[in-house]
Amino acid sequence: MAMVTEELPGGITKVILDGRLDIEGAAAVDLPMNVIAGSRKAVLVDLQNVSFLGSMGLRALVAPARAIKGRGGRIVLFGPNESVEKVLKSSGIDTLIPIHHELQSALAALA
Amino acid sequence: METPKSAVTGNSMDQFHDQRDLRSRLSDIAQIPIWIGQLALRYNIHEDLQFAMDLCLEEALSNIIIYGYLREEGRPLTVRFAAPRDGCFVFEVEDEAPLFNPLEAPELPPLDPDHEIRIGGQGIRLLRRFAHKLAYEPTTKGNLLRIEFLQNGEVSS
Repeated sequence: MAMVTEELPGGITKVILDGRLDIEGAAAVDLPMNVIAGSRKAVLVDLQNVSFLGSMGLRALVAPARAIKGRGGRIVLFGPNESVEKVLKSSGIDTLIPIHHELQSALAALA
Repeated sequence: METPKSAVTGNSMDQFHDQRDLRSRLSDIAQIPIWIGQLALRYNIHEDLQFAMDLCLEEALSNIIIYGYLREEGRPLTVRFAAPRDGCFVFEVEDEAPLFNPLEAPELPPLDPDHEIRIGGQGIRLLRRFAHKLAYEPTTKGNLLRIEFLQNGEVSS
């Protein structure tokens, strides 16, 4: 699992995840995601290149999301594939972190 | 490839074609998606079903390692594969952990964005959503979980 961050205009941090968000993938992004959650208030998590998501991966998304929201910030998920989205919706995480498939709507949700 | 063996699980007798023997390390689970990829090529399993197999096995195996074996390494964990009929694929997961029937375990509700502080507990929910059929039986040494997938079947959403 690779993770890259980009700073976008408007104080938005884009986190690009690439690979499998499985047990190993979740372990790899846990710390950097929590660092971001502790310091950013508008975060877009790009899931376009995430090919797998399991319950450990869900945890790696939910914990930072709660931290960001707890500080009054916003976080959105962008571009999950159909299977990954099904995992997100099965666990109800879409009610905590909105899912967007259009970049403009994702950015607008963070504005 | 192992010599095919038969086992009676659920209501059917399956001829197992292949198996993986793990030693209860979470890192061992990494070999499962590679194996599923090989099976997908051999049996022309479509991508969505591969994802479901991958997900269900990761959840089942990690649950056994973390909660059944309490992360003790070196404990036996076997996954067998069968294709008993066209478009039907079966995995059996056998362990020697304390008895635990995931079919009877209470399913935790979906996360509540306003009140929920719990993060984990989604594994069994995902297993039930993405498998087409689950069957469980206790064995003399532990547990046997049968996970069935249908190539053209609908998975509950």
